[in-house]
Amino acid sequence: MKKEKLPKSRFRGSLLSRYLIIIVIALLFIPVVFPASLVGYQFVQSIIVGNISPEPEAKNDPYTTMRLEDMWHREAKRLKGNTPEQIDARIGELHAAYSKVDMFWVDAKSRVRQPGTSKLKLPQTWEAADAVAYMKRYREATQQFSVIAFIGDDQKLKQGFMVMQVSRSELRTGGYEMSARTTMIFFGIILLMFLLFIAVSWMFFVNMRRRLLRLQSAMTVQDGSNLPDPILIKKTDEIGQLEHAFNGMVVRLGSSQRREREEEELRKRLIANLSHDLRTPLTVIRSHVYSLQKEQLSDKGRQLLKLTETKLGDLSGLIDNLLSYNLLTSGKYTLEPERCDVLRIVRESAAAWYPLWEKEGFEADIDLPEEPLFWIIDPQWFRRILDNLFQNAVRHARSGQYIGLHARALPGGQTAILVSDKGQGMEASSGDKGAGIGLAIVGFLAREMGLVMDVGSSSQGTDILIYQAAGSEPGLKLTNKV
Amino acid sequence: MGIHLLYIEDDAEIGAWVNEDLGGRGYEVTWLQNGERAVEQAAGCRLVILDVMLPGLDGFTVGQRLKKAYPDLPILMLSARTSIDDKLEGLQFADDYLTKPFHPDELAARIEVLLRRSGSYSTEPLVLKHLLVYERENRIVNNDNGEEILLTGKQFQIFTYLLRHLGQILTKEQIYEGVWGDPYLDGDKTLMVHIRYLREKLERDPANPEIIETVRGVGYRVKA
Repeated sequence: MKKEKLPKSRFRGSLLSRYLIIIVIALLFIPVVFPASLVGYQFVQSIIVGNISPEPEAKNDPYTTMRLEDMWHREAKRLKGNTPEQIDARIGELHAAYSKVDMFWVDAKSRVRQPGTSKLKLPQTWEAADAVAYMKRYREATQQFSVIAFIGDDQKLKQGFMVMQVSRSELRTGGYEMSARTTMIFFGIILLMFLLFIAVSWMFFVNMRRRLLRLQSAMTVQDGSNLPDPILIKKTDEIGQLEHAFNGMVVRLGSSQRREREEEELRKRLIANLSHDLRTPLTVIRSHVYSLQKEQLSDKGRQLLKLTETKLGDLSGLIDNLLSYNLLTSGKYTLEPERCDVLRIVRESAAAWYPLWEKEGFEADIDLPEEPLFWIIDPQWFRRILDNLFQNAVRHARSGQYIGLHARALPGGQTAILVSDKGQGMEASSGDKGAGIGLAIVGFLAREMGLVMDVGSSSQGTDILIYQAAGSEPGLKLTNKV
Repeated sequence: MGIHLLYIEDDAEIGAWVNEDLGGRGYEVTWLQNGERAVEQAAGCRLVILDVMLPGLDGFTVGQRLKKAYPDLPILMLSARTSIDDKLEGLQFADDYLTKPFHPDELAARIEVLLRRSGSYSTEPLVLKHLLVYERENRIVNNDNGEEILLTGKQFQIFTYLLRHLGQILTKEQIYEGVWGDPYLDGDKTLMVHIRYLREKLERDPANPEIIETVRGVGYRVKA
């Protein structure tokens, strides 16, 4: 398939650009979202949550890792140069102040000393191996928070070191650690941002969809004949351009429909006028022939007049058929099919033709079943077919003096209508070719109604079978019987 | 004094000929060459013969105006326009549609049918073989013995319907629907039964009917 070149459209104000803006904003937002969430958190915390339910004494709580560590190192520094007894006393005081914290210290001789209130079970001496074991046990264990400080800030362990440890459950997260509520608010804000992005995208597509649906409903015209109304264009984006193109199409369609109607009108009028102009002189000629017939004439003269009259009739029929064929094939007749009893139509048509057959000395052999036969046909068109067939029989099968109307059961279980005459057949059609256009009309009408006209002709006569084309090709079928 | 007809035809030759022919058949004809004064001229007429292609007002417009002014006045369209559309348009208000070229006998026959249908019967009885039919008085007399024939309501309606379409063949559906006013149901024998009784009263020999003729495979006809 060849790729169609799409029309160029302005980028600004297009759907594409608007969607790109949404995407770019979303991408730019990701690095902004987290700090913004923090700011948002602070805001929420201080303004809303802080006022309603303040976090329990976060500022003054000594049980925060930062403060404890700070305090321990400060104390260790201050104990520089103190005697072991003084150190014992100070740690005892501290333990009294921080009751939840276990404390002990190891002097320069690696002896473990702890205040009497301590519940810790510790070895008497504290060698390097013990320190490692302690590290393993407590430092790596997350449940315990411990701090080791060298007394007097002396790395060479002249005075030993002091250790404190506390269960983490006793501690409050503060400073760089956040409480569960803070996390919730933080992620809540991020979630909100993403929801906002989804909502904006959603709105974008919902809006687009609504406009497309509007266009679709505008294109679907309920009543067959009318054109869709033009759409009011609100935006200049791709859909706006589509609407614009649609409006243009509606206008063009309207003008072409109008032109077609005018053409149809013109054609109909032309043909009506033509018919009138041809028939008026014919009528005049006929009137003269009629007047002549009343004069005193020789047998030869009367015979000639009779012939003239017959030919006048043929000519009139020919004009009729020619003009009808023109109108029919240009689709200027509307087919209005309905379910009707064809046998009834055949009978009524035969009733109208019967006097003429009688006058021409035809034997009318009509035997149609009583039960109705329903076909989906346009009764006007079907009458027209019958009229043409009967007319042909009168004109071209005069020698047979016979017209037959019967119902025939077909092998497929269908019922066909058989119109037969005993003329010389189509080939020898009494010298005039008038049958041609008449049959063309009949064939056209039959095809349009989905009927088959099976015409079998021989020198003994013509049989025309009319039946519904169930599966087979509708229209006229000509076969020459031997 | 013949029956008064209004004839509107613009073609001088055709108009003169029809005028003369109808005059010869005992009708009194007013011939107009356009439809301008048709409505006023139609007063006192029993039937209008109307051409379609007229200068000025066209035949369809004239016909509609006439029908509006005189709803019961029968109108026969006589036109050189033969398309189905024209016929259908014409028959929306007209009672009959005859196309040119036509035979004067056919025109006369159709005029007669229309007059009969519209109830413009003459005082002279209609003679059908041995029957004298006084249509005005709804009386049928057997001319053989001078006795009046009495028909039942339905028999009379059927006979009148056939008489109104004198010379025309009517299918059983047409008669049934014309008389009963209901759609014909398949296999309904009511009409056949009525016609049998009707023949027993009217015909000299009901086995070989002469008045109500059976057209085999088509329907029934009463010929003048």
